[in-house]
Amino acid sequence: MVLLENDSFLTELTRLFQKCRTSGSVVITLKKYDGRTKPVPRKGHSESFEPADNKCLFRASDGKRKISTVFVNLNSFLQAYSNLLRAHMDGLKKKDKKSKSKKTKATQ
Amino acid sequence: MPYYQTWEEFARAAEKLYLTDPMKVRVVLKYRHCDGNLCIKVTDNAVCIQYKTDQAQDVKKVEKLHGKLMRLMVSKETHSGAMETD
Repeated sequence: MVLLENDSFLTELTRLFQKCRTSGSVVITLKKYDGRTKPVPRKGHSESFEPADNKCLFRASDGKRKISTVFVNLNSFLQAYSNLLRAHMDGLKKKDKKSKSKKTKATQ
Repeated sequence: MPYYQTWEEFARAAEKLYLTDPMKVRVVLKYRHCDGNLCIKVTDNAVCIQYKTDQAQDVKKVEKLHGKLMRLMVSKETHSGAMETD
């Protein structure tokens, strides 16, 4: 699992999408992250850790390669991320115009 | 693992699930260009809700939901109702 900087993560995510155009899937996972670096201890002693409240963990994979990044300041990233998703997820069906014209014919 | 039929129901259920336990919930997005479909899953390891689509119009909705959940994760407020500052 490669932990990257925010910008490198976006670059690598673009590369993942491009690689998977002919076959395979891109899986993106998003989760709230409190900054812990050690596992939760079984008995007590978890007082020494201060959970942060404002981070989120992004992971992406194409089945072979895994990348991840942690985000704190979303605003700059959010725009870039939305554009990326919209640009690459273009293999889906557009609105079916044929069914619409069929409906209008049926109403007449 | 229920697949929701409408986006509105899925979005509402996803937000509700996130608000019950923000630390446990994760959002998984799977896109297959070769098959032309997109699948979103929101789970807290007990409840799992999914939505599958092959429509281009849903990409924007997915991306909006992602943004909304990201903002909830990053904000320090625990309740979404408290996001409006008085």
